[in-house]
Amino acid sequence: MRSRKKARSLSAALGLMLVLGACSSGAADGGNNQVKLTVWSWDDTVARAVPGFEAANPNIKIKVVNAGSSYDEYTALDNAIQAGSGVPDLAMFEYFAVPYFAIPGKLEDLVEFGAKNLKKDYIDASWNDVTVDGKVYALPSDYGPSVMFYNEATLRKAGVKEPPATWDEYYNDAKKVRALGGDYYIAQDTGDLFFLLSLIWQAGGRPFKVDGNKVHIDFTEPGTTRAVAFWQKMLDQNLLNTKVTAWSDDWNRTLNDGTLASQIMGGWLTSSLPQRAPKAAGDFRVAPMPQWHRGDEVGAENGGSSFGVPAAAAHKDAAFKFLKYFTHGGGLAKRVDAGAFVPNTSVLASTDSQSKVNKYFGDQKVGPVLAKASKSVASDWQYPPFFEWARSTYGDLVSQFYTTGKGSLAEILAQWRQRMIKYGNEQGFKVD
Amino acid sequence: MGHAKRLDATAGMSSNTAQHRAPARKRGRKQIGLAFIAPFGLLFVLVYIVPVVYAGYLSLFQQKLIGGNTFTGLANYTKLFQDAQFWDGVGRVFWFTLVQVPVMLVLAVVLALALDSGRLHGAKFVRVSVFLPYAVPAVVSTLMWGFMLGVKYGLFGSLNNALGTDLNPFAPSTTLLSVGMMVTWAFTGFNMLIFHAVLKAVPRELYEAAALDGASEFQVVRRIKLPALRSSLVIAVIFSIIGTFQIFNEPQILPSMVANSGITTHYTPNLYAYNLAFTGSQQGYAAALALVMAAITIAVAYAVQIRGLRNAFDH
Repeated sequence: MRSRKKARSLSAALGLMLVLGACSSGAADGGNNQVKLTVWSWDDTVARAVPGFEAANPNIKIKVVNAGSSYDEYTALDNAIQAGSGVPDLAMFEYFAVPYFAIPGKLEDLVEFGAKNLKKDYIDASWNDVTVDGKVYALPSDYGPSVMFYNEATLRKAGVKEPPATWDEYYNDAKKVRALGGDYYIAQDTGDLFFLLSLIWQAGGRPFKVDGNKVHIDFTEPGTTRAVAFWQKMLDQNLLNTKVTAWSDDWNRTLNDGTLASQIMGGWLTSSLPQRAPKAAGDFRVAPMPQWHRGDEVGAENGGSSFGVPAAAAHKDAAFKFLKYFTHGGGLAKRVDAGAFVPNTSVLASTDSQSKVNKYFGDQKVGPVLAKASKSVASDWQYPPFFEWARSTYGDLVSQFYTTGKGSLAEILAQWRQRMIKYGNEQGFKVD
Repeated sequence: MGHAKRLDATAGMSSNTAQHRAPARKRGRKQIGLAFIAPFGLLFVLVYIVPVVYAGYLSLFQQKLIGGNTFTGLANYTKLFQDAQFWDGVGRVFWFTLVQVPVMLVLAVVLALALDSGRLHGAKFVRVSVFLPYAVPAVVSTLMWGFMLGVKYGLFGSLNNALGTDLNPFAPSTTLLSVGMMVTWAFTGFNMLIFHAVLKAVPRELYEAAALDGASEFQVVRRIKLPALRSSLVIAVIFSIIGTFQIFNEPQILPSMVANSGITTHYTPNLYAYNLAFTGSQQGYAAALALVMAAITIAVAYAVQIRGLRNAFDH
């Protein structure tokens, strides 16, 4: 679920309302052993699993509340935990937010509920996302393997017959697309941190190493520098549209009119692209992320989320029961039908997902591409526990470079590291 | 002056008569007075004094993700005074105020004078349409301006295409200007209404006398209307300073519409406080910032008030 940018557009006032609203949506017990669970989710598909679960568990009633997306929800949850009331029994977390809540002890370790037995049913990288120091703090609920959405018609027009399979080809194709003139670009970028990190991830860089309270940050590893230098080259040679930002109205237009030839993003875009670019129906296709070496199959992640049980939740057993039901058990199929893209191996391997053709993508079988991209995600990536803060700070640093071209991505990352070190140490971590 | 003297005389009389009354009765009266202000006082304490005191209390603590809350005394304040990001924001709102407030108030005065001149066709329409932006929520107006000033597909995009220029209202160097325009658009009408109301209250005889003396329209404006506006102008300046020092909505919403507009998490002090508290989970530090910012705003507003009112009543 990549709605973080959208979440930003909520007004401050709305944010406050959510915080206040959150305080009043406490989990109150009904009489006669009735358990009432409150679930915070901005994933619409979770509600689809409720009727089936309630039918099977008549003593548990479930209330799914949208307490805001991403950032807004985390703020609301932090406030509820601090206030000691209104804490939900289950809450949604993007993968990068799991350590933020897990390390200070705000999330329940799910190992005691038997979560470890479920490991084999999920893609390794997604399990890694919910594991902190060997403990499991959430169950994966949707996944964002990085894939390339490309506009076949535009690439053809530029004289590109096959989508780029390597980054070298991508660079050459970018020049061909740019040669079309006007606003034609192979991609847009206005400082998308998650894209840059997925590029580093795929190239083998692991800039964050987290061990308990210790965080080591390094942007000078060969994998990292390689990815950064490549993207720097793309920017320096004016091969990217740096005026149009993802999730904006402008972005929708460039997707619609075909001037944006490709977009490398999480697989979840599959479900929303048809609404964003209805006029480009039939033009888009999905392909794996270009590779650093021809013939490799290395992927990365861009987004995805999970659900965890807050340590202050009132009904942890019931909460885990429902959590397991909609991310692993009987409720999963309903969510998949409603459009959820999940990292469960059984779903990815199912004949349904493997054989279904997608009309919007020119009758392409999208499922196998996404499944393969999910399985090829390189493992062992870690996010620092203060990533939510860190990414907002990254935004402070990039705008000068993206508007004037002064400076470089490497310099920005070095500056970013310095700020993270300062903040992290102030917050009681040992950061270097 | 004569009016003031009369007021003094009545005040003296009432205190004289009160002295003749029984002291018990006087006490009873006082208690009734207290009862009358109690509802206000209670609310005032609850929603104003208590939060301020609580913020002061919070500002003495540091919240850590690891280790929880610790009492740090005035450490948050000393840190704040050395925080370049904070002063960057303060400097920005200061310059913003210095430019935007005069522009807006001059516009408002001119519009109010035009309305009051009675020579405007469709005065009612002008009054309503200039005031209307004030009723548009800042969130909505920011979205609207964001679309209009957008360089890609917005009005500015078309303008650039037509003129062959490359102007960007949301580049890091021009964003503040655009925000100034949004704020001016929103609040000019409100100030205009205040000034217009003041002008309406000027006794018509003054104008008749001026006309008999052969004063020109320009002289009427200079000698009668502008002096009448003086004290309300001071109030408008103070409100505007407070408003611009607290600017928040525009810089909070714009980044979601335009990339790399140069709006940072510490663009204005209010935005910085919000981000510190809700993204950085540094509530104590944010509380310290809020209190210092309140002190700065009060100091500036007070300085303006003292200077402005002295000048206003000297004439």
